[in-house]
Formats: sequence, structure tokens, C-alpha cells
Amino acid sequence: MSVDLEKILRPIDHDLAPYEPKYMMLASGEAVVVRQVFRDEIPDLLKHVEPLIHVERDFYDVVAARVYAELLGYYKHRFQDQYVLALQVDGELAAIVNGREVKPGLGLSLHTLAMRRGLRIGAHGFAAKMEYHIDTLGHDEVLIVAESPIGFRRWMIEYKLEKRFEIPHELGGVPSWALTRELFDRARSKLVVGRRPVPPPLLEKAMEKILPPSDPPTPPLDPLAATRALYDPTATALVQQRWEMEKGAGNA
Amino acid sequence: MRDVYVAGIGITTFTRLEYPLTEIASYASMMALKDAGLTEVDQIYVANMGAPRVNHQTALASAVADSLSLLPAGAAAIENGPASGAAAIKAGFQAVASGMDDVVLVAGVERMREVNNLEATDFVATLTHPLTEYIYGVTLPAHAAMFARLYMEKYGVTERHLAMVGVKNQNAALNNVWAHLQQEITLEGILDSPEAMTNNPYVAEPLRFFDACPVSDGGAAIILVSKEKAKELGRPMIRLSGIGQATDTHAVFEREEPTDLLAVRKAAQDAYEMSGLSPEDIDVAELHDAFTILEIAESEEVGFFPKGEGHVALEKGETALGGKMPINVGGGLKGRGHPVGATGVAQAWEIVTQLRGDGEKRQVAGARTGLTLNFGGFGNNVVCLTFVRED
Amino acid sequence: MAREIYAYKCRLCGTMHYPFRMVCKGCKQNDFFEFDTVPLPKTGKLLTFTTVYNLPAQYEVATLGLGIVELENGMRMLGQIEIDDPEIGMAVKGSVEVVRKETYDDYYGMVFTAA
Repeated sequence: MSVDLEKILRPIDHDLAPYEPKYMMLASGEAVVVRQVFRDEIPDLLKHVEPLIHVERDFYDVVAARVYAELLGYYKHRFQDQYVLALQVDGELAAIVNGREVKPGLGLSLHTLAMRRGLRIGAHGFAAKMEYHIDTLGHDEVLIVAESPIGFRRWMIEYKLEKRFEIPHELGGVPSWALTRELFDRARSKLVVGRRPVPPPLLEKAMEKILPPSDPPTPPLDPLAATRALYDPTATALVQQRWEMEKGAGNA
Repeated sequence: MRDVYVAGIGITTFTRLEYPLTEIASYASMMALKDAGLTEVDQIYVANMGAPRVNHQTALASAVADSLSLLPAGAAAIENGPASGAAAIKAGFQAVASGMDDVVLVAGVERMREVNNLEATDFVATLTHPLTEYIYGVTLPAHAAMFARLYMEKYGVTERHLAMVGVKNQNAALNNVWAHLQQEITLEGILDSPEAMTNNPYVAEPLRFFDACPVSDGGAAIILVSKEKAKELGRPMIRLSGIGQATDTHAVFEREEPTDLLAVRKAAQDAYEMSGLSPEDIDVAELHDAFTILEIAESEEVGFFPKGEGHVALEKGETALGGKMPINVGGGLKGRGHPVGATGVAQAWEIVTQLRGDGEKRQVAGARTGLTLNFGGFGNNVVCLTFVRED
Repeated sequence: MAREIYAYKCRLCGTMHYPFRMVCKGCKQNDFFEFDTVPLPKTGKLLTFTTVYNLPAQYEVATLGLGIVELENGMRMLGQIEIDDPEIGMAVKGSVEVVRKETYDDYYGMVFTAA
């Protein structure tokens, strides 16, 4: 009599309505496609998230490490009811956003990780996520927290999110904020941008393959230099790392 | 008063730099010293606005003097808000012109990204009037926005014109390896497309994201010398021919005519008079486009276009590379970035580069005279410089 | 008791100043602090305005309305505005309220609403 352990360990995913792809024009004039990524393509995302774990600025390290864990958990059936959306520009991965359903009517936003900077792609991804929760998944509320101060300002204050401080968010147990259907409807004209359906050639390029980002944030040569420098008052580790990078880059 | 020449220039990439402030200033200065072929100077001026507040460091010039092994040269820091750079160049000019010094190093530096964006915004806002402006939460974008609204009402400037300046300058920066922004943008993407509001949200109405310059770290340096020294060093003979500086009311609401930038007008007039030039003589200009509306307004106040018609010239393409009056061909503040204390020196760096013929893809053909306009406060302290190539 | 914002009138020549300055811009002859305080009028017209989205750290609100107002007596001032659809030239009235909070201090200034 063999016990099927997988049956016990594996969470049961509910039927979440799929995300309908859409596209937007960026400030550069390029088009970005937002589409859902399922388990089979997660390994393609993981390899682009991993290097960001070692980028010690703007909380890339914390966010990337957590996204990696979430994606891996999703892939290996150890994470319930998670969805993953990818934003691609000409097939190239520009951002990943994810979240999950807590219970019918309640969603939870996990992360927004942008590989391409300077074009507000993170803002597009976040808005797409919220639309998915409220319009497609029928959630009345979405719980949100932010790791970085920029995220905090933009989301909590600009969108006028409501406090749900009695609910510790699973990302570290910090007090949660919520986007309610009411708030979303009020900000709809600002939030819900993008067009559907995606023109076939654009969609095909995005669905065909997730291409590597061409200019992602780069990790330093010595991954823990900044952390070590906290314990080294002369910051020698950081200085030496920088000189090493200089020799490579040849420019200040 | 002796003639003053530029013997060396240096600059760092404008971006987020993980270096201490002294090092950024020293990097640019070292580049300038090597350019000039010098290892000694008589005097150092360091232009900087935020070191005590943002970087927790005072007496910056002393630190730079030692870091560059230029002891025992005299050194002092010059703080003049966003016009620190050109004000320091003026001090350097006075030192050489008076005969007191033969070689003066002027370095501009800022490391704003040591603090987060909200702190940086507050830091810049401290230049407003403490009791009648700052306490209300006014920021520089807010001032520029209120000014832009008046300009739109009075002269018919539109959000489209502002966006055109942003696109022109950000895309011009692609020709400048030292510039902060290296991302092409299109008018459609930031203004016309259905997603433009997310791509280009309001920062302070009617100014939008791409109407404002980025927050940058960076340094630039220039070495001013006497004529004899310039000949001895054998560098191209570029003379700092004119300087003008003027102040205006501290509180913006007290300006005589809210759409006028009188300090810009007066500073430019004085610079032209000192150099014996007039606006038509200028081949290439660096104006202070911390906000796109300022490039339009300044282009009128320095005499390139009649008052109220700067946006018309912009529409016709006259202010782009290849046009009749090229402005900010290296990206300006919008594309190159705006490390506040360094900007005035970086503008001079660009003009000297142009007059030397080293502009590469952004070279203005045959440029022999150039002008820089460094706009301090919100127009209450402005310095204008003119440069001419003599050989 | 309503709070006031004060202008400063030179005792020698009567020139009004807002903000305060040490030397009278009219006669330049005044002695140290030779000014009288005069409350600023609280009505005027809106010259220009903006809604600020990117606020400095101390503000916990999403947006802030600011405007430059030309007061009844011809002097101008900057104030916060709480007006839904502001227009250049509209009549406004002000009252002195808290406009900024630092850690333990409150700062007062003029807040304008539609008249």
C-alpha cells in the first residue's frame, strides 16, 4: 500500500480564469505585450530572475529572491493559486508580475520585477495585475505591500489604498494595504490602459519564446561586497570591487 | 583685466554613481588636469549645492584639494543653488583675470542619489523662500508648472511643445556617452498613444514625467588659465569671453511680470556686452532645461527668439542639431542629467567640446562661439557665460 | 480667533513687503526692523496654479494644490488651494490653516478656496 505523498503535499489549484493578453505603447514608441505564463515556461523566467538576486540596489535582491522562490514554488506545485504575467518587448522579457488568490473574492499581489528601466514598465505591469484581480478573477479586494520606497509612494499614496493593518502580509508579515473594487473603479481611467486584442504578429512573437532581456540591471562582481562593507568601516571591499569593475568598463 | 582661456576639461558619466562625493569631483578634475597636461594649480573652486545636507560632508573643496595632491593650493566651495557651476567658473575667471592666479581648477559635483527621491525633492525645494514658499510644500516642479501654465495662457505654448523639447533633448543624449539617459522616446509614446498617461504621468500639472530632468550624480571640471599659460600648454585657444550674473526676487510670486525671467535677460545682456557679441553671433548654446518650459522661455530671454515665440522656433526645428540655433545638442539637463552643482560646469564642458570640434555625432558644424545659461533658484540667480574659439 | 499672515510696512516710506526683507525695497533708508505689521487681505484672484503629484517626504497625501494669488491690495502670495476645478482669474478666499507638519511642529499658512 503506497501512500501518494504528492497528493498530500500538492495544493489544489482552483480554476482561475486565464488572463487575456493585451498590449501598450511605451514612451519609446515600442509595444509591450502582457500575457500569462504557465508552469511550462517558468524555467525560462527563472534564469532571468536569478542574476537579479545579486543586484544589491533598489531592493532588486530582495524582490528577485522572493520572486524566484514564488516561481519555483509554482513550478513544483508547492504554491496554491498563483498567476504569473510576463511583459515582453519584441519577445524580450521586460518585467514579471505575479500574485495569487487567497480565497474567492480576495486576491493578494505578490511582486513586480522590472528588467527594463526608464519606461515605466513596472507601472504598466502593476496596473495589468490589478485589472486581472478585479475584472477577471472577480476579487473585491487585493492585498498589497511594497519593499521599496518608490513602490510605496506610487501605490499606497497615489492609488489611495486603504489600510488593512490587521492583516499581516505573507511577505514578511508587514501590515497590508488594499485596493478595493471601489478604489479601482474610481481610478479606472488612469489605471486601465492598454488595448485588446493583441495584433497577431505581436502576440505570436511574445508567445513563441521568452527572449533574454538585452540590458538588465547587472550584479556586481563581488555579490556580497555591499553587505560586507557594513562590517568594514573603511569600505575597502566596496572600493576594491569598484576598481575591478572599472578595469572592465573603462569608464566612470 | 587679463583674458582667460580654457586649458582642460573633464567629466564623469552622469548616472547613479556609487562613489563618494570627493572621488566624483576628483575623477572629473583628474581628467581635466590630464587634458591640460598639468599637475599643479594655483587655486581650486568646487561648485556644489548639497554636500552638507545630502552627503553629510562639509568643506568639500579642502577634501578635493588633498585627494588630487594639489596641496598647498587655495580651495573653496561655491554654493549657488543650481547655478553653483557657472558661479564657480565666474570666481575662477575673476582669479585669473585679476592677475592673482595663473591656473585655476573649477570642478562641479553632486551626489544626489545618496538619498531617496523624496529626500532629493525636498533638498532641492530648500532653495525656495522658507517662510512664504517652502512651508507650503512647493517643489521646483511646482514652480515650473505654475510658470508653464502662465506661459500656455499668455503665449499659446501647449503640452505638445513641452513634449517636443523633452523628445528633442532626451534623444540628443543618445549622441553623448556621458549622458544619464540613453533611452529613445517618441512623441507618440509620451503624448498621443492611449497609454501616454501611464508612460508620462503628471508630476505637477501641466508638467509631466518627461518634462522634468532626472536626478543624477556626476562631476565636471574645467581649468582656466592666463593667455601665456594657454599658449605654453598648446591646447586649442578657447577664451571665456563674457560673464553676466543677475539676481531677482527670492519669492517667485514677487516677480514683476510672472512670465518674465528678468535675471536671465540681464545676465545674458551683460555677457554679450562684456564679450562684444550679440545673440546672432552664437553658434551653439547650452540652456538650463531642468524643465522643458525653461528651455523655451530661456531661448527667448537670451535673445535667440522674440519673447513668446520660442515655441514657434522649436516647432520649425530651429533649435535641433542642424537647425539655425542648436540648443542642448548633448541632451541638455533633460537628457544628460542634472547633478545640481555639476551642471553649470558640464554646460561649459559641452560648449568647449563643441568649439574644439570634438562633438562627434553631435558636433555643430563650424561652431566658433558658444553660450551657457545656468539658472539658479527658480530664476532668481542666473549666470550666463560666452566662449569663443580664437585659433 | 482667526490667524493672520502679515505683510511688513516700512515706517519711513510706507512700502509694503511680503515676504519680509531687512532693507526696504522702496527707500532703502529704514533702520533695523523699522516696519509695522499689517495683516494681508484674505480675498483675491487666482493667477496660476498646479496640482503637485511628486511631493517631498513630509507629505502623506496623494496630491497637493498650490496657487499664486493676487490679493485685494495688489500684493501676491503663494498658498495651498483646495479647489476642485481651478481657473486662472477666479475669485478666491483664504484662511490660515496648517500647511505642513514636521516631526513635532505645525506650520501655518494660507489655504485658498473658491470665493
